[in-house]
Amino acid sequence: MPVVKLPAACIFVHLSVGVMFMKVMFFAYIRDYTGTKETYYQHCQTLKELLEKLSDQYGEKFRAKIFQGENLGPEIIILVNGRHVEHLAGLATKLNEYDEISIFPVVAGG
Amino acid sequence: MFGWMGTILRVNLTDGTIKKEPLNKNDACPYLGARGLGTKIMMDEVDPQVDPLSPENKLIFMTGPLTGTAAACPGRYEVISKAPLTGSIGASNSGGHFGPELKYAGYDGIIFEGKAEKPVYLSINNDEVSLKSAVSLWGKTVFETTDELLKATSEDARVTCIGPAGEKLVKFATVMNDKHRAAGRSGLGAVMGSKNLKAVVVRGTKSIQVANPEEFIKACWDARRKLKAHPVTGTGLGAYGTEILVNILNQSGALPTRNWQESSFEHADETSGETLAAKYLVRNKGCFGCSIGCGRVTRIPDGPFKGFGEGPEYEAGWSLGADCGVRDLAAICKANFICNELGFDPITMGSTIACAMEMYEKGILAKEELGRDLNFGDAEGIVEFTRLTGLREGFGDKMAEGSFRLASMYGHPELSMTVKKQEMPAYDGRGVQGMGLEYATSNRGGCHVRGYLTSPEILGIPQKLDPLVTTDKAMWLKIFQDLTAVVDSANICLFSTFAIGLPEISSMLRTALGWDCTDEEILKIGERIWNLEKLFNLKAGFTKADDRLPDRLLKEQVKKGPAKGKVVELDVMLTEYYALRGWDTEGIPTDEKLKELSL
Repeated sequence: MPVVKLPAACIFVHLSVGVMFMKVMFFAYIRDYTGTKETYYQHCQTLKELLEKLSDQYGEKFRAKIFQGENLGPEIIILVNGRHVEHLAGLATKLNEYDEISIFPVVAGG
Repeated sequence: MFGWMGTILRVNLTDGTIKKEPLNKNDACPYLGARGLGTKIMMDEVDPQVDPLSPENKLIFMTGPLTGTAAACPGRYEVISKAPLTGSIGASNSGGHFGPELKYAGYDGIIFEGKAEKPVYLSINNDEVSLKSAVSLWGKTVFETTDELLKATSEDARVTCIGPAGEKLVKFATVMNDKHRAAGRSGLGAVMGSKNLKAVVVRGTKSIQVANPEEFIKACWDARRKLKAHPVTGTGLGAYGTEILVNILNQSGALPTRNWQESSFEHADETSGETLAAKYLVRNKGCFGCSIGCGRVTRIPDGPFKGFGEGPEYEAGWSLGADCGVRDLAAICKANFICNELGFDPITMGSTIACAMEMYEKGILAKEELGRDLNFGDAEGIVEFTRLTGLREGFGDKMAEGSFRLASMYGHPELSMTVKKQEMPAYDGRGVQGMGLEYATSNRGGCHVRGYLTSPEILGIPQKLDPLVTTDKAMWLKIFQDLTAVVDSANICLFSTFAIGLPEISSMLRTALGWDCTDEEILKIGERIWNLEKLFNLKAGFTKADDRLPDRLLKEQVKKGPAKGKVVELDVMLTEYYALRGWDTEGIPTDEKLKELSL
């Protein structure tokens, strides 16, 4: 499991009340929707639960990129600890404390 | 003649003669143009064992049937020769405007032979073609040369040239057109320098005929509409350029770092396309007829790395950045500007500096020899050694040989991250298994654009493959290699294939050329080209032993991240690949395969 450097405030909360955190990172124009490169989030059981909470926080444009109906949208790439969720369990992927979740739009280059 | 212009220029630099020869349709049809046709000419006219920098080698500029037409992204041309860096067939293409202009002047390509006694350039103004003295241009940079030739001819002309690096035979010198665009890999600029050929300036006003204009425009419209609608070619590449890949490769644990000792870089985001767009991007820029606009016009406004130019592309940014452990994007941009100005390949440059950094940190290279320290992370170091290398000054004279020859001079070739002596680009095959096979089998040595399996393995285009397994990678690679040979020979930009595939490309080719053939028959052309390149390399002396990766990728496990514990499982993939190609266990095409391909 990767070592995540939590901001001091998060470490304080973690130590004092036992709340667990995950690191969520945003890339490319997803940052325009979130206004931040990364955030620390209270532990969610599944990827779907996390994405629902993020969508509630960041609004409809974000949600529209993430979801297409009940499924992940076609223009989004999500990694959990560096693994594409298509090789895990998709939206049902179980999350653990200190997981790193990376959210990209579909990108390419070369 | 449709698609093609029907004429090739043959320029003998030794005696100064220039001939206009009819395009041989018996060669053009089975090899399309550009990379395929150029390789066919090399195979017919040049001994594959020739010294790449001798007058007996030839240097070919070639366009394809879609160059300069209304096709999707048709601004390419290809430079083909035997490559000084690798000793293999060298074929490197470039965008911009030079290729279309050459066709508008009436020519599909130019074959340069021999060696001029003194520096010359070729001047083309439609039917008027002549060799002129370039003595006053020798020693000038790419930008100076371009400006002077445009001033001497026409502001509407297009220039391709070499800089000081090509003149000084830097083993990875580029051929530069439109100032900032490069036929960048394998050192073809050094071949140009060895011939005392400084530049080609071309102006053309003719038109290209296609067989079925109405259907051709429909096919082009369909392809362009798909490019516009796709999130990568319609939005992402224009906004962030190719450097957008830094973060996703890093998060996937496949961003080679500090000469491939690690597979992720803690400062990756500081060198990313997002940061480039936020800090230094002036505007994006497209090549001829391009709707994508992935080019970066960039400016470092102040500080020690102040400068203005274009780029960096992802692989250049990676080699000068993560591979050298450098987090300063301004320094990376500056070193890339220098590569364009002096005319040499930033991928090999950065990788060679990274190799030297590891040699220095391991005590193989001494400070006295380098003239300074050279640790990983040294931003000033990458800029200084880039300039020294382009001019072959100081220790740069040794770096100008590339990392394999440099590391071998000191008895440590294992520290060079090369295949066939060419530096592998920015995808760690241990975390992207198919790319490991791609590097090993590339006919021009370590290279990412001969069968870009990163697309399915990391990006999920056209479908997602698991990057950590070997299953089906040989099959996918064969398809990608053959299709890429078609794309390069039809001569459109490879980036179009993020949005379109064989059906759309075939449709444009059929309607342009007036051909009645299937998509599969067109893909077969790609397979023929791939096998022809392989035959050239075999005759040049390459064997199965050259289809190999550095031991670091085969034996040193990834230390952390999603690919932790992985090495490239090359043997299993290579065996499957040879069988799928119809080659024997030594990687030699069988008689049956050659007969099938009419080779």
